[in-house]
Amino acid sequence: MNTVIIINLNGNAFHLEEPGYQALRAYLERAQGQLKDNPDKAEIMADLEQAIADKCAHFLRPHKNVLIAAEIDAVLKEMGPVQTDGEAPAGGTAAPEQADTRTGGAPAAPKRLYQIRQGAMLSGVCAGLAAYFDIDVTIVRILFVALTLLTGGLWVLAYVAMMLVVPFANTGEEHAAAAGAPFNAQEVIDRAKKHYGEFKDSKEWRRHWRQQRREWRRKWHESAYWWGHNLQRNVHTFSTGAGYGSHLGATLLIPFLAVLNALLFCLWIAAIISLATTGGIFGWAVAGSVPLWVAILILMFVYGVIARPLRHARRAIYFSTSGYGYLWFAAWYEILSVGVLIVVGWFAYTHVPPVHEFFQHFAQNLSTMWNNVVNSFRHSASHTSAWLDACLSAAGSAFLALRG
Amino acid sequence: MTSDQKFGPLRKGLLEFLILQIISADKVYVADMMKRLQDTDFATQEGTLYPLLSKMRREEFVDYEWQESESGPPRKYYKLTAKGKTQLAEFKDYWAYLNTTINQLGR
Repeated sequence: MNTVIIINLNGNAFHLEEPGYQALRAYLERAQGQLKDNPDKAEIMADLEQAIADKCAHFLRPHKNVLIAAEIDAVLKEMGPVQTDGEAPAGGTAAPEQADTRTGGAPAAPKRLYQIRQGAMLSGVCAGLAAYFDIDVTIVRILFVALTLLTGGLWVLAYVAMMLVVPFANTGEEHAAAAGAPFNAQEVIDRAKKHYGEFKDSKEWRRHWRQQRREWRRKWHESAYWWGHNLQRNVHTFSTGAGYGSHLGATLLIPFLAVLNALLFCLWIAAIISLATTGGIFGWAVAGSVPLWVAILILMFVYGVIARPLRHARRAIYFSTSGYGYLWFAAWYEILSVGVLIVVGWFAYTHVPPVHEFFQHFAQNLSTMWNNVVNSFRHSASHTSAWLDACLSAAGSAFLALRG
Repeated sequence: MTSDQKFGPLRKGLLEFLILQIISADKVYVADMMKRLQDTDFATQEGTLYPLLSKMRREEFVDYEWQESESGPPRKYYKLTAKGKTQLAEFKDYWAYLNTTINQLGR
């Protein structure tokens, strides 16, 4: 048993089974889509409907007045897909099912005027008109206000009339028809995307901006801890249990890192002292053209680059140890570092004569260092000004030569 | 690609002239045209024929008139216009010329 639908084909009534009706409807909608730019669309559609009606009539007998789905399929197959010049025929007969799967022939959706509640200021008449004519609702509103002013308020009556006469778009299908858009899943998705884009661009942009900044900060932190996290992962990798293993790894790594860091720091300080007092690093003379302050800056930079991964590794270990355990590790690390510094300092003071001398004449050395740095800065500054003078006078003479 | 598929576009291009030829003999309606074409390689369907006829009418090669039929609704009977007759004559000349060209190139 099947539902029967009565249809009108070019003035002839037919009883169709529901699936047959769906197939016929799809065929005719596709035909309309194919013919949407054809000036004779209405006439061709009438001809097609008449031809279908003639074919359908062949299946009817005095005691058989309903067309079953298979019969409709046969009729549509006989009709063949509606083709216009733009489309090459598929060499012979193509079944309507095949035709339906082609993307080109989306059925043209009917367009109707509705009042649209969403985004309405009063009743949604302007929004409906904007959707119907596919223009911005603001333009419609300005037009309405202008017309109201020009007609001395009479246009308000027109608005009220439309408010009363034009129906509301309630269902999704009606909303689609208001803008003349076909109503199917893809369209709904596209529209949702479009609305999301509008929403993002307009009133919620501030919130989005804040979100974005949070995101950037998070990413920045992530990249800053890259080294650390890598190391942390390694700690986890060679450990058996997460808690115990990372604890063990941390206990082993912390002294190593602390000693390494302290030694590096000592080396850096020694390099700076030797640079400031002798003009070279541990007997290795810096190229004469590089001013002392530049050399010190470079040294600081190099130290920063080398020390950075160590610092992150340390932080990673703090992170990998759960709870407040990291406090113990931090204390452990600092004590070790300071201890190493003291040991190295004491060793240098007692075993390396220059360092012993340096500390004995600490105040004097400090002023020597300072003077060296300041002089080097002044020197390079005067160099720069002399160079600038030379450039200016050269430019001046060139200018004079050109004028002369 | 079979030769049948290759000849598809050729047949499509010729269909218009074949219809001119069919109509030139006598006034015909669409079912008649289809019956004539049915057993040839140019067998076609309403889905193709109606849009084509409407285009040919817009280009003023054919015209139609309504005629009552004993069974069913009135039918559109197509006939050639003067322009359509000229077009058909031109086509026949051109077809003969193509034939000659093809045959001569083969020698």
